Amino acid sequence: MRLSFSDWFDRQADRLFILPAVLILLAFSIFPLLISAYLAVSRFQLTAGGYQLRFIGWLNFKKLLIGGEQYHFLGVFAPVPWYGWLLGAAVVLLLARSLASYIRSGKSTVIGLVGRAVTTMAILALTVLLATTIGAGGQLGSLSVTVIYVAVGVTCQFLTGLGLAMLCSQNIRCRSFFRVVFFLPLMVTPVGIAYTFRMLADMTQGPFAGLWRLIGLGDLSWASQAWSARLVVMVGDTWQWTPFIFIVLLAAIEGQSREQVEAASLDGASYWQIFRDVTWPEIAPVASTIVLIRVIEAFKIVDLPNVLTNGGPGIATESLTLHSFINWRALDLGGSAAVAYMLLIVSTVICASFFNYVMQPMRSRRQ
Amino acid sequence: MTVVLDHISKSFGFLTVLHELSLSVQAGEFMVLLGPSGCGKTTALRMIAGLETVTSGRIAIDGRDVTDVAPKNRDIAMVFQSYALYPHMTVAENIAYPLVIRRGARADIDRQVRDVAAQVQLDPYLDRYPRQLSGGQRQRVALARAIIRRPAVFLMDEPLSNLDAKLRGHMRAELKHMQHALGITTIYVTHDQVEAMTLAHRVAVLNKGRPQQIDTPRQIYEDPANLFVAGFIGSPPMNFVDGALADGLFECAAGRLPTVVQSHQAKAVLGIRPEDCRLTAPGEAGSLRATIYSIELIGDHALLTCRIGGQSIAVKVEKDFSREIGAEIGIAAAPERTYLFDAASGQRLR
Amino acid sequence: MSRWRGLFESRRFGELAPIPKFICYALLALWSIIVLFPLYWVLVTSFKEPVDVAYPPKFLPFIDFQPSLHAWHYIFVDLGNDTFRPYANSLIVASVSTLLAVLIGSMAAYALSRIEYKPKLGSIIGFILLLALAIVAVVHWQVDWRLAVIVAVVLFLLLLRAFGRYFRRHLGNGDILFWIISQRILPPVVAAIPIYVMFQKVGLLDTHLALIITYTTVNLPIVVWLMYDFFAAIPRDLEESAQLDGASRYRIFVGIVLPLAKPGLIAASLLVLILAWNEYLLALFLSTAKAQTIPLLVAAQNATRGPQWWYMSVLIIIMIAPVVVLTIILQKYIARGLLLGAVKG
Repeated sequence: MRLSFSDWFDRQADRLFILPAVLILLAFSIFPLLISAYLAVSRFQLTAGGYQLRFIGWLNFKKLLIGGEQYHFLGVFAPVPWYGWLLGAAVVLLLARSLASYIRSGKSTVIGLVGRAVTTMAILALTVLLATTIGAGGQLGSLSVTVIYVAVGVTCQFLTGLGLAMLCSQNIRCRSFFRVVFFLPLMVTPVGIAYTFRMLADMTQGPFAGLWRLIGLGDLSWASQAWSARLVVMVGDTWQWTPFIFIVLLAAIEGQSREQVEAASLDGASYWQIFRDVTWPEIAPVASTIVLIRVIEAFKIVDLPNVLTNGGPGIATESLTLHSFINWRALDLGGSAAVAYMLLIVSTVICASFFNYVMQPMRSRRQ
Repeated sequence: MTVVLDHISKSFGFLTVLHELSLSVQAGEFMVLLGPSGCGKTTALRMIAGLETVTSGRIAIDGRDVTDVAPKNRDIAMVFQSYALYPHMTVAENIAYPLVIRRGARADIDRQVRDVAAQVQLDPYLDRYPRQLSGGQRQRVALARAIIRRPAVFLMDEPLSNLDAKLRGHMRAELKHMQHALGITTIYVTHDQVEAMTLAHRVAVLNKGRPQQIDTPRQIYEDPANLFVAGFIGSPPMNFVDGALADGLFECAAGRLPTVVQSHQAKAVLGIRPEDCRLTAPGEAGSLRATIYSIELIGDHALLTCRIGGQSIAVKVEKDFSREIGAEIGIAAAPERTYLFDAASGQRLR
Repeated sequence: MSRWRGLFESRRFGELAPIPKFICYALLALWSIIVLFPLYWVLVTSFKEPVDVAYPPKFLPFIDFQPSLHAWHYIFVDLGNDTFRPYANSLIVASVSTLLAVLIGSMAAYALSRIEYKPKLGSIIGFILLLALAIVAVVHWQVDWRLAVIVAVVLFLLLLRAFGRYFRRHLGNGDILFWIISQRILPPVVAAIPIYVMFQKVGLLDTHLALIITYTTVNLPIVVWLMYDFFAAIPRDLEESAQLDGASRYRIFVGIVLPLAKPGLIAASLLVLILAWNEYLLALFLSTAKAQTIPLLVAAQNATRGPQWWYMSVLIIIMIAPVVVLTIILQKYIARGLLLGAVKG
C-alpha cells in the first residue's frame, strides 16, 4: 500500500511535536554552551583581518582565581572581623550537623556522600571567601557580591512575602485590591525600577530629601559608598520580587484544608500555634519550590546593578553577570566566558544542593 | 453537660439556612440531627461548636451562655467528616495535640494518650502516620483525639459517611458502645436515617432549615408529625396515596380504607408502611385495588411493587410469594396502622 | 472576659480581634504605600518643570507645583521617531516571540505528556561529542563550518549504526522534561557571547529576527513547565475517542486539546509576554540601534540624560504602562499560572 504524504506526516507527528523545541534548545542552549566553554579556555584577540582565538587552557580561570583578576572576582583579602568568625562558626556547625545526621541515619550511599561532600565544600568555600574579604581593608569581589544579593535578597523577599501572605489571608475586606496592588512590582520593567529607585534614593532631589536632612544624612552620597550602594540594589530587588513569593504563598495558604484549621482551633490552638502546626507544614513544599525558583533567577541579577550604580562604586555592586558583560565590552571574550562559566557552576551547585537536600526530604516526608 | 439551643437561626445575607431551632439535650444523651443535605443540620452543629456565628438566638452549654464564646473555650470536641488529622504528625502526636496545646506535663500526656488509644484499639498504630492508616483507623484516631480532652459535649459531623457499608455497620456499634461507656453528651449529624434510628436517644429531623420533629426514634417511626418525617424515616420508605378523607373513610380512585381519623379533608394523603400492608382479593371492601408491577427477592422476604392509579406502593411479602407481574390484588391495612396527612400542609391529621 | 483581653483575643471564629485587625490593616496599607509610591513619584515627576525637581521635593500637582506637559511633548514630538522605533521594536519582538514560544512549547509539553520518548543515552553523548569536535575544528583549525557540520552529521550517523547496540540505556520523559526546565538555570550571559558570535557570522545582529529567536529560546522552558501540568490533567478519553474517529494528532491538538487548556495558555502567554517585554541583558548584547528595545532606550538615556528626571520619567511611564495595565486586567491568570507551576513543580 502506498503511503501518501499525509499519512507519513501523521506518523511523524510524535517526533514533529517535540522536535522544534528540542532543536531550538540544542541550537541556542547546548551549542552556545559548548562554544562558551571553548571561549573560556582561549584568548581572544583582534587582529588585522578579524580576530584570533588561541587555546590557552586554564589561564583565564587562573587569572580569576589567583591572577590579575582576582581582586575583581574574589575580592581583596583582609583579616577576618568578629562577625566573620561568627558567620563561619554558624555555617560550619550547621553543615557538620547535617552531615552527621545523614551518616548516622544509616541510609547513606556513596553517591549521596559525594554529593553532600561537594555541597559542604562549596558552601564552606563561599563562607570563607565572604569572611576573609568582608573586613576593613578588604573588598568584596563579584562572586561574593552575587552571593550576598542572593542570600540576603531572597531571605528578605521570602520573609516579607510570607508576612504579606499571612496578613492577606485573614478575614479582611478589599482583599482583591491588595492582591492586585501587591502584584504590580513584579511586572514593572527592572530597568524602570532601577531608575525609579535612583530617583527615590537621591539625597538632595528625591522625595525623602527632607527626611535625610532631618537625620543628618543630607550630604551622604549613597552611590559612593559600597554598602549603601548594595543596600539600594537589594531594596530595589526586594521591591520587585516580593510579589512573586507573596502571590504563590497566599494561594497556598488559602488552599489549605479548612477542617484541619478548625480542628486545631477547637483543640485550643492560638493563631501562632495553628500556623506552626497546621499551615506551615502544609505550605512548606510550595514555599521551598518558590524559593528555589527565586534563587535560580536571583543569581542572574544584572539590570539593577547596571542601571542603578553601573557596578559601582568601583566594583562594589557588580554581580557576576555584570562582571561578564563588562569583560565582553572590553573585548576580553575569554575572560567574559570564564566568569560566565563560574556563575553557571556556582548557581548549579547551589540550586542542585537546595533541591536535593532541602526540597526532596520535604517532599518525601509528605508522600 | 446539657446543651440548650434557644430559637437559634442562621442567615447568610438574605438566605436563611436555619429557622428558629430550639433543642434541649440532656446530660449523657445521644442527640442526632437528621435530614437531607442542605437542611441546616451541619450549620446547627457548627453554631454549637462556635465555628459559625449565630444570627439570632442563644446557645447554652451546662447552663453557661456560650453564644459569644470562642470555640476553644466552650469545652467541646468535634469529629469532622474528613477527620481533619494532621498529616505530618504521628497518631500519638495527633491524639496528644489538644493536651500539648494546653501545656500538660509530658509524662502525663503520654499516659493519657496510651489510655485513650487502648480504648479505641489503636495501640499498635501509635507511631504510624495518618496516610498509612485505613479509613476506619483514621476515624478512630479522630475519635481518640476528641475523647482525650474529656469535653462536656461531643460533636460529630457525619463521621461514618466516608466509610464503606460493612465498616459503617461495625463502627456504628462501636460508637454506641463508646458513648454509653463514657456517658458524654453527644450531638451527631447525619443524613442516614438508619444511623439516626440505631444510635440516637432522640432524633431532631430537619428539612430546609426548619425543625420537623424532635422525638425518640420509636416515636418518630410510629408517630410521625408530618409528611416529610413519615417519608424520610423507614426503609423501604412509607407509601403515600392521594385521595380524600370523609367520615372516617379514606377514599381514592382505587378504593376505600377505614381510618381512625374523623376530620374532613378534601385533599388528603394516606400513609402505610410496606410491612403494615395486607394482601387481599382485589375489589374486597376496605381495600385498594392494585396491579403488581415488580417482585424483588430481598432475602428473608420479598418486596412487591404495585401500581395504584399513577402511584407506586411497596408491600413486604413472604419470600415464597407466588403471584405474577401484572396480576391484580387488593391492599388493605389495619386502621390504626395508617397515617393521614393534609395534602397542602403535610401536617399529620389526628 | 476583661476588656483588655477582649481587644486582643477574637471572640468569633475566623475573625480578628480589634487590635490585631488594626495592625493587620496598618501593615497592609504600609506595604501598599511602599508599592504605589515609587510609581506615583515617577508619574508626578513626568509633569514637572526642571525647576520643580530641585530641593525641596514636591509631591502634589496643582498644590506644590504647576504640572506641565513639556517633557511629554519633548519625548513624543521632538524625539518622536527615536521614541516610537524602540517601542515598536519591543512590541514586535515581544509578541512574535511569545507566540512562537507558546506554540512550540505547548507542542512539546503536550508531546511529553502523551507520548513516551526513549532517547538513547549513547546517541546523546555521541551527538554532543561530535558537536564539540566540529566546533573545535571550525575555530581552531579554521575548517569551513559547513564542511565541519556535514562531516559531524555523517560521523554521528555512522557511529549510531555501529555502536547503537552497545548503548542501551534509555532516558525517559522525565529526564527530557527536567533538561528542558533546567535550561532556566543557565544564566543567559553564558550563552550570550556565542549567540552574538553566531548571529554576527550570519549577519543577523541588530535585527528583530535575532531577538525573536533568542527570546523564544529563553522562554521556551517556562511554557513547557507550565503547560505540562495542564495537559497532563486533561483526561485522555476525549483524544482517544477522536483518534478512533480517525483524527490526526495535529487536529486533535489544535481542535480539542488547546481549547481545553485555554487558561494555562493565557497564563503562560502573559508571563512570557511580560518577560520578553522587560528583557534587558540579551537585547544589550544583540542590538545596538535598529532593533533597540525600550529597556535599552531607557538604560541608554541614563548616560545622556542622567539628571533630567522629567524626560526619564516619561520614558519609564510609557515603558511600564502596557505591562501594568495588562497586569491589572489579567492578574488572576498570571497568579494562577505561577501557583500551578510552583505547586506541581
